[in-house]
Amino acid sequence: MRRSRRTTVAIYALVAVSVVLFMFPLVWLFLTSIKPATDTFAYPPVIVFTPTAESYTQVFAQSDFPKYLMNSVIVGILSTVTALTLGLPAAYALARLHVRGTGIWRAVALIPQMLPTIVVVIPVYMIFRSVGLLDNVIALAFTYLAFTVPISIWILTNFIQDLPPELDEAALVDGASRLQTLTKVILPLVRPGLAATAVICLLYTWNEFLYALILTGKDAKTAPVAIVGFMTNKEIYWGKIAAAGTVVLVPVLAFGIVAHRHLARGLVSGSGK
Amino acid sequence: MTTTNAHARRPKDRAWAFLLPAYAAIGLIVGVPTVYSLYLSFHQWKLTTFQKGVPFVGLDNYAQATGDPAFWHSMQVTVLFTLVALAIEVLLGLGLAVLLDQEFRGRRSIRILILLPMFVTNVVVGLIWRILLSYDFGVVNWLFSLVGISKVAWLGDPGLALWSLVVVDIWNTTAFVALILLAGLQAIPDEPRQAARVDGASAWQTFRLVTFPLLRPVLFVAVVWRTIDLFRIFDVVFSLTGGGPYNATETISLFAYRQGFASFNLGFASAVSYLLILALVIILAVEARVLGRRTT
Repeated sequence: MRRSRRTTVAIYALVAVSVVLFMFPLVWLFLTSIKPATDTFAYPPVIVFTPTAESYTQVFAQSDFPKYLMNSVIVGILSTVTALTLGLPAAYALARLHVRGTGIWRAVALIPQMLPTIVVVIPVYMIFRSVGLLDNVIALAFTYLAFTVPISIWILTNFIQDLPPELDEAALVDGASRLQTLTKVILPLVRPGLAATAVICLLYTWNEFLYALILTGKDAKTAPVAIVGFMTNKEIYWGKIAAAGTVVLVPVLAFGIVAHRHLARGLVSGSGK
Repeated sequence: MTTTNAHARRPKDRAWAFLLPAYAAIGLIVGVPTVYSLYLSFHQWKLTTFQKGVPFVGLDNYAQATGDPAFWHSMQVTVLFTLVALAIEVLLGLGLAVLLDQEFRGRRSIRILILLPMFVTNVVVGLIWRILLSYDFGVVNWLFSLVGISKVAWLGDPGLALWSLVVVDIWNTTAFVALILLAGLQAIPDEPRQAARVDGASAWQTFRLVTFPLLRPVLFVAVVWRTIDLFRIFDVVFSLTGGGPYNATETISLFAYRQGFASFNLGFASAVSYLLILALVIILAVEARVLGRRTT
């Protein structure tokens, strides 16, 4: 469609304003992380300064942050791998096996994502407390299945539905069982779907805060909880917060780039559209 | 009927065996706690007394909550926050989606840049804005001072903190609304829009009369997801204001958290969390009536 010159100028102006407004806070976080300690609190804010890595050194060499970052990685990988293993067969059944009440099964997989976390985490805390699972990385990864399994179900169902059904038919004609069809035919083809699902699951686990806040202590704490820990009653360590925050955001932004397209589709179709 | 149809259900398929592992996990991790929470909400469980027993107290926890001004305050904060933020986010998100649907140079990468805030760890969102909005050294106050506005206590003023939270949430999640609506816009075929233009409709008329009605189901999806997330908001508030100043930003999730894990009154906190679900269901039902009407 043809556009007038004025419209074109307006579009570019609006795009520029949006980019500045949405990116500025992230840029500012990064700048704060590389400022010398004396400039962090300066007012008016210092814009020209000699960059320094001192906040990063404090976070990595003089605190337990690396350990907590590692916890986040472990929890994310453990929960994601488990969720994909459980979710793939379920998604296959929903996409291909004409299960009675497919719509209901898909809706059930949405409920965990809609429940306020506080509802679930209070009883989980009490159960974990009585069986000694508090402050345990593996137990935390297990609770994250509450959202990683549903995410895997919706997104993988979409991906499998996109594959031509003739492929399954051919395998079945050749005498393969459904399980063999899944592992030999579907699995290799759905790899991009598994990758996309894994990225989204990792994103959700990496960012999760409320479960981790309540269920972990000084051993199994994850990175988001550790960052909040840089705010103590005595002092708020802005340099450390900015450095740790920047480190946490690097994988998030990388994953976000991969995830955004699939996430939109998952959310729209997952809602019974 | 032949057995070669992949879509036919065959007796030896054992679909339940494919579904069972995933749904058993969901039942164990979400179903069991949710039911246990309901049970707890009818019992008294306090850290100081639980070893002597957890007596059944009927609806006492619910009565205590609905008789507590702090509960109603947090409910009011949550509803107000949800409605205001939702309205602004949907409007801006729609605008942003339409903008990102236009042709312009570098569209792919710019789209990603603009959508990035929705992926930022929520706790970090709160902390970033705590730095930006700081009374003493915040860059926002400095930018305002350039145009002659004196320092504002964005997060320290009880009358202002909730609106600052709204602004922060808009920055964080408008992109989410835009992402969903953009997917919706791109799924709409070009023909009806072009036909409308050929028939002499203006760009605005085409949008209002052709595009918008087709977008409505997707818009509803965006509204439902935003409502749920706004209503249960916790992380951003926790790191931005901690619910303060003077509980001015204490949402229901924060109130329940404080009751559960500062006062260790877990039966009561469970009752509050069920009231949270109840209020959320009511809001969603109202939205479904208002927005879910079938288009003619």
